[in-house]
Amino acid sequence: MSLSVLICDDSNLARKQVLRSLPETLSANAQIATNGVEALKILRSNNIDVLFLDLTMPEIDGVGVLQGIQKMGVTPIVFVISADIQPEMQSKVLELGAKAFIRKPVKSEVLLQHLKENGLV
Amino acid sequence: MTHFDLTEDQQDCLQEIINVAMGQASDQLARYLDTFVYLKVPSIEQVSSKHISDALNVEDQAAAVVSQGFFGYEGIRGEALLVYQPKDSDRLADLLGYDPDELTLEEQIIDLSSILTTTFLNVFASQINNQMSYSAPRFLPSNKSAFSEHIEQQSFNWDLALKVKISYQVTDYSFNCDMILLIPESAIINIAQVIDRILEEY
Repeated sequence: MSLSVLICDDSNLARKQVLRSLPETLSANAQIATNGVEALKILRSNNIDVLFLDLTMPEIDGVGVLQGIQKMGVTPIVFVISADIQPEMQSKVLELGAKAFIRKPVKSEVLLQHLKENGLV
Repeated sequence: MTHFDLTEDQQDCLQEIINVAMGQASDQLARYLDTFVYLKVPSIEQVSSKHISDALNVEDQAAAVVSQGFFGYEGIRGEALLVYQPKDSDRLADLLGYDPDELTLEEQIIDLSSILTTTFLNVFASQINNQMSYSAPRFLPSNKSAFSEHIEQQSFNWDLALKVKISYQVTDYSFNCDMILLIPESAIINIAQVIDRILEEY
């Protein structure tokens, strides 16, 4: 079974950093969103299994996406990947249902570790 | 006037490097003030030396400005300015718990600025495989002529600067400050080359 993946970040470089860190089973069918509005649109019409989510973005930010996900009642596994490393922000996103907070710039081995812990690789 | 036009990819990469630096600077700010800092996407633009005063909004109203020089390897250097509007300076006094027997407000603003500047630039530098050293931060007199004089006295010549506008919004206090990096063109060209190396990896 292949998992459907969505990478949401306003930075092209940051999206590539995530994409390059993923095993091919996950990267092959990855979709891209460049802000929170696009992400929610894709989450609404597609069955997304895994979401890699930035926080500081134009339009709707990452916290807004997590709130939108709760309202929609969809249940992707969400990994927040952000430079906003304040402890209060980290606990906020975990409370809003994110599986883990990963600090930027993302390291492949750290991302893989989180994927393993959640049985995704 | 010459330009250090960055390509879309270079701009994107620079923005992401700045994001990471901004995130860690905000974290330090939040710990220092024991509060939460709301982050917005930073804006990056070029300003010319002719228009720098306008870009900083220092002409009409007095703004507190703290200036600190930075020096890295390979000719990367510049001056970091933290610009506070007067209303924010008052709010800062509340926030910092101004006590006349201890540090003056001016000293506290210098401390705060130095934390933001050095954290931001250390993280920025490490991402471009560089390392910074710093001059002592200075609190500039809040009038336009003193500010212009300070800009002219810089030991490097520059026509264009990078204006990184970061609004550090402190919850409950609506305190903002802008960080402006004056980086001479030669240093920007060097940064662009490092960015190209990063981009080649992806």
